[in-house]
Amino acid sequence: MTRNPLRLLRTAPPAIPDIPDTGDDSATRSMLVHAARTGDVRAFAALVDAYYARCLRFALHMLSSRSDAEEAVQDTFVRVYKALPAYEERESFEPWLFRILANRCRTAGARARRHAEFVDYGEVPERPAPAGHDDSIAWREEIGLALATLPEEQREAFLMRHVEDMSYEDMAVATGAGISALKMRVKRACDALRGKLMEVDRD
Amino acid sequence: MIEDTDELTARIAGALRPLPFVDESAKARLLVAVAAERERDRELAVRRSFHGRLAWSVAGAAGLAAAVMVATLTLHQAPHTVASAPAPMASTAPAVQLAAHDANVDPASAPQEVQLVFRAPAAGHVRVVGDFNGWDAQRAPMAREAGTGLWSVTLSLRPGRHVYAFVVDDTLWMRDPRAPAAPDADFGRPGSVLLVGRP
Repeated sequence: MTRNPLRLLRTAPPAIPDIPDTGDDSATRSMLVHAARTGDVRAFAALVDAYYARCLRFALHMLSSRSDAEEAVQDTFVRVYKALPAYEERESFEPWLFRILANRCRTAGARARRHAEFVDYGEVPERPAPAGHDDSIAWREEIGLALATLPEEQREAFLMRHVEDMSYEDMAVATGAGISALKMRVKRACDALRGKLMEVDRD
Repeated sequence: MIEDTDELTARIAGALRPLPFVDESAKARLLVAVAAERERDRELAVRRSFHGRLAWSVAGAAGLAAAVMVATLTLHQAPHTVASAPAPMASTAPAVQLAAHDANVDPASAPQEVQLVFRAPAAGHVRVVGDFNGWDAQRAPMAREAGTGLWSVTLSLRPGRHVYAFVVDDTLWMRDPRAPAAPDADFGRPGSVLLVGRP
């Protein structure tokens, strides 16, 4: 039997021996942040593992393009790494991370819009009809389309509140906006989404 | 207080909440980008420290120039160091100049040529990444030696301790099985230690 030598040499990612698993996610993450701040690169890699999927979800909903979203998440973590020495541990890490991520998404969104201005509209492919999809996929597609029509700051506020389950206090840290303004953005986003999706239901 | 949750909102949020598929190679690229950033910071710190020393030793400039000449002559006479495996490699192995040649270079850190060899018969391509190339996989592709399953590259490295790894087919990050493992390899990935000889 021929065995693939690469498979034999494949190495499992090493454990992080210095950071005990307390069973409490937030305590473990605080320890990871602390260790990463002091230059522990394994702790930083563990932080990336812990937050990558959530950051990617937010960026995908903000940018609607996987390559743009992956790039925004990569930029985010590079900036997090550079800014960690200045990070005050009395701040919550998550809103701080989402502040950087939201900024990267805004920059990427603006770049994509500038690029779109140069697109020859004759070349834009029409969106294929969702025929043959089951209802749940069609429903998710409609939600994605409705979300994409929201103004950026409403979309961002809706995602932070209802998808990332952030408190308004954390959202204020992440966006720099006041709590009343954020509540208004979320309400307007909900109203707009309801309106658009009820239109779809009627069709 | 503005009420912002109702049944339809909850359904919308529920449809948006599943976590997306994570492409592990995108995550790997991210860690390589962060490692490169870290390496740039280190290099800047070393340069700043070196230029600081230069500023304090203007009187030693002539001696420094003479030392650079001596180091260059020594280097030309030195045989290649095979850091990983003693197997003689085909002359098609690419020589990759990674250590910057700089008129200001400290003679004690004059680069030496080092050949790295890695066995991976099933690989489509292999690259070497390390602290010497900013962990940038594009900068040091290895050449395959036909019929042997061996890959090699010749690097020009400054004396001292280096940490490196091989990246197979852009995704599999492996340490050199014939070199000591690096306990401090970047971002929890496997790495090996290479000592480039000092007089």
